[in-house]
Amino acid sequence: MRVNSLAFRLFVTAAVWTLLVLPIAGYLIYSLYREDVQTSFDGQLKKLVTALAVDSMTATSGVPESPTNRYEPLFEVTHSGWYWQIKPVDGTVGPTLVSASLATANLPSPYELKYPADAAGMRWRNDKGPAGEPIRIIELMDTPGSDSDGSQQRYSIVVAGPLDWLEALVTHFRSRLSTALALAGLGLLAVTIFQIRFALLPLRKIEQGLAAIRSGDAHALEGALPAEIEPLRDELNALIQSNQDIIDRARTQVGNLAHALKTPLAVIVNEAREDKSGLGGKIVGQATLMSDQINFYLDRARMAASSGAIGRVAPVLPVVEPLTRALERIHRERGITISIDCPEGLRFQGEKQDLEEMLGNLLDNACKWAASQVYFTAALAGTTGRASVRRILISVEDDGPGLNEEQRKRIGKRGLRLDETKPGSGLGLSIVSDLVQSYRGTLSLEQSPRGGLAVRLELPAVQ
Amino acid sequence: MRALVVEDDNDLNRQLVAALTDAGFAVDAARDGEEGYFLGDTEPYDVVILDIGLPKMDGISILEQWRRSERNMPVIILTARDRWSDKVAGMDAGADDYVAKPFHMEELLARVRAQVRRASGHAKAEIECGPVRLDTKTARVTCNGQQVKLTSHEYRLLAYLMHHNGRVVSRTELVEHLYDQDFDRDSNTIEVFIGRLRRKIPADVIQTVRGLGYRMSSDGDAG
Repeated sequence: MRVNSLAFRLFVTAAVWTLLVLPIAGYLIYSLYREDVQTSFDGQLKKLVTALAVDSMTATSGVPESPTNRYEPLFEVTHSGWYWQIKPVDGTVGPTLVSASLATANLPSPYELKYPADAAGMRWRNDKGPAGEPIRIIELMDTPGSDSDGSQQRYSIVVAGPLDWLEALVTHFRSRLSTALALAGLGLLAVTIFQIRFALLPLRKIEQGLAAIRSGDAHALEGALPAEIEPLRDELNALIQSNQDIIDRARTQVGNLAHALKTPLAVIVNEAREDKSGLGGKIVGQATLMSDQINFYLDRARMAASSGAIGRVAPVLPVVEPLTRALERIHRERGITISIDCPEGLRFQGEKQDLEEMLGNLLDNACKWAASQVYFTAALAGTTGRASVRRILISVEDDGPGLNEEQRKRIGKRGLRLDETKPGSGLGLSIVSDLVQSYRGTLSLEQSPRGGLAVRLELPAVQ
Repeated sequence: MRALVVEDDNDLNRQLVAALTDAGFAVDAARDGEEGYFLGDTEPYDVVILDIGLPKMDGISILEQWRRSERNMPVIILTARDRWSDKVAGMDAGADDYVAKPFHMEELLARVRAQVRRASGHAKAEIECGPVRLDTKTARVTCNGQQVKLTSHEYRLLAYLMHHNGRVVSRTELVEHLYDQDFDRDSNTIEVFIGRLRRKIPADVIQTVRGLGYRMSSDGDAG
């Protein structure tokens, strides 16, 4: 996931929200639970102390008596954490009664320690038991006998319960809660990732659609898209259409201009040739120059028009076959044959016309120079690096006289012709070279093992 | 040799007709597609120069229709649209060659001669028949190395016979191929020109095949 991406933004906001909310929620749940457990524990202690008071202080003897009920079996187990104690306070003379669990120890009275009573007259205190264990103490002040006899004897009735099991319970709950919340958090993040993927799926579709347009498999973005990005698709389609319209229009205009200029030029040149004075020769020279310039700039105008093209693709074989058919016909008097070695389905990423120009000029040159045979080979280059930058390797060779190294260097220059006896304007190879450059390809001239010149091209391919 | 020029630009049309006439052709000219198609469909031409961009009917359609009705004379396409796709379209429609405007008249004429020769089965620019030699490039005729001076009508007649040497050529065929459509066609004139030619080159090179026509042959046998 890249930092500067929609997915990252969505994910980070979701993650921050989750990390913030889950601990707060956990803390709240934990607090509520703890309070709840405490309250029910306190309720139990309250019940015990009240029952104890009723049981031991209502005897008619006027002194507290050991309760008849055991209430809690753990009162009998030494240092169990569960204790009770009835002790006279405020100078009252009377017996002190304790549970068996207290053994020889006793519990300090919160009353004597000046703890305030709550609304129900109870005093609460957290303390340590005889064995050092944490306990919670509840105290109730009472007077033995019936309330009506006005006795001033005051007793502290204390019940204590262990806090450690309560702590254990809460801790256990907390750990289970943390685990559950952590799992919920992870689940949320997973759902978030899925959600992001799902929500951004249409963007992926657009990306694939654009790739298909680039590779020429499609001419527009197709299919239903979510309402939010439907306008984007329509705009993109309009853009692609307008791009193609501009190119088509430019090509048509350029073609029309060529037609409009070349016929008058042909007339001028032919007329001037008839004129044997110096003027005629001058006109012929200048008109020829004009014609070369027109060709030169028309080619570049066509090239500039197509360099901005989106998603044009040209299969190689269907371009080469008609070219060789036409060229063999043009050169049939010399019996030139052109052999094609090109895998079916090999596709050039670019304008069909440009591929035709490149291959047409190269094959035509080869036919002009060949003794009898021209070889065309095209293949997909071995993958180097990313799959999206695959290349087509094309080579056009002939069995003619070929060129030496110095000639090969010179021939690429514009307008240069090594042999003026071969027909052609000499612009052929330079326009090929310009076209190759406009597609970021490479062009090289080599000595062919078949004797003549080998022109090798490297051009972008479509998968 | 008869040639047809189909070109809508008046000046270019005139120049082409003049150049071809100078080169020894009997030339007809058409200035729109329909006229061009009709002429090519009805007259026996030895070569046609056909512009692609024509009013009324475009060159490619004309060519396709000719080829469909077995009109197989050599056709050279002449056009300003010089993309390879245009060339391929022209060649696929049945053209024999392609010349892009602006062109050098010499180059066009060379291609015209090459097509005429190819159509009659001669690979080289020079055609020989016994002692008589015809250089199609320069329109020069020699006999035993000596140059023979010919008028344009004599040249046309000899050139046609030499292109088709070994074959009997009827008077009608000669009339059809030697004169443009406006010429007053009288087959007697052929006999007059044959007679003149026989005085300039060895008489037995041109044989008369009674009732059929003439034949040029190097063996001197009347067969």
